[in-house]
Amino acid sequence: MLIPRRVKHRKQHHPKRDGMAKGGTELAFGEYGIQAVTPAYVTNRQIESARIAITRHIRRGGKVWINIYPDRPLTKKPAETRMGSGKGSPEWWVANVKPGRVMFELSFPNEKVAKEALTRAAHKLPMKCRIVRREAGES
Amino acid sequence: MAEVKITAGVRSEFGKGAARRIRRAGQVPGVIYGHGAEPVHVNLPGHELMLALKTPNVLISLDVDGKSELVIPKAVQKDPIKGFLEHVDLLQVKRGEKVSVEIPVHVEGELAPGGNLIEHVLNALPVEAEATHIPESVTVSVEGLEAGASILAKDIELPKGTSLAVEDDAVVLQIVAAQAEAPAEEEAEAEEGAEAAAPAEGDEA
Repeated sequence: MLIPRRVKHRKQHHPKRDGMAKGGTELAFGEYGIQAVTPAYVTNRQIESARIAITRHIRRGGKVWINIYPDRPLTKKPAETRMGSGKGSPEWWVANVKPGRVMFELSFPNEKVAKEALTRAAHKLPMKCRIVRREAGES
Repeated sequence: MAEVKITAGVRSEFGKGAARRIRRAGQVPGVIYGHGAEPVHVNLPGHELMLALKTPNVLISLDVDGKSELVIPKAVQKDPIKGFLEHVDLLQVKRGEKVSVEIPVHVEGELAPGGNLIEHVLNALPVEAEATHIPESVTVSVEGLEAGASILAKDIELPKGTSLAVEDDAVVLQIVAAQAEAPAEEEAEAEEGAEAAAPAEGDEA
């Protein structure tokens, strides 16, 4: 699973959820991709789960790119704990994904199989997604 | 490539409020620059511009206040979700002038059997071409290519009057061997290994 090797601060503020993706909104490597339509925090477990869904469906002959990285820690206080006594312990690593961001890309010769693989992966992700394809005139 | 005629108006108000008013009126704010002249801010008709920009590097004959100018799109900003045009940068060109543009690379033909994959290193090929004769795209044949083969920029046949703007030996696309299918058990073990490594998270520097 994707985890930062070392971080400057173990506990951070929650990342901002507003706004649109500033970059990474178009396909850069593959022929097909999954684009986020709504904002969400995507955990490293969800990214891994989506990756496995793609690789198990295409079996062989394809290439997958993951364009997001879970570099923000989220913390959680233990259950039945009174307020105070400092911030909770790091519990999840998340990627802060804004609408428009292309999160996964895939190159695969068969369009039907590629789209089905990405649909399965999109079901593992916590936001509304759509499958995008490189258009003929698109560079 | 045929010219597309569009009539534009000079833009006098600026900022996000004005830009949003322009977009609500079905127009697109834009700017024209080039040849060392002062930039001209314009409003362009949204639908006509959208249709014109479907052709890559389209040559537009822009009528601004009765004065005709030849321009090509330099940068196009789109809404990432809805896809409508937000702003366009137009580069002023002259007939016969050479311009640097990127043209899409299309692939035709079937690879040799074996389930290999085409990897596009360059999705668009940088070329220098006459502004009035920019090719829409270049087509590369990959018929019967085996894994490990690559197509270099110099291998691509360009139309007359067009020259490469990258090094001759720049790789445009390569054929990658199909990856062997990872056995399900092996993959499951790899996942367990990753889970075991998880407690190391959040080490402070």
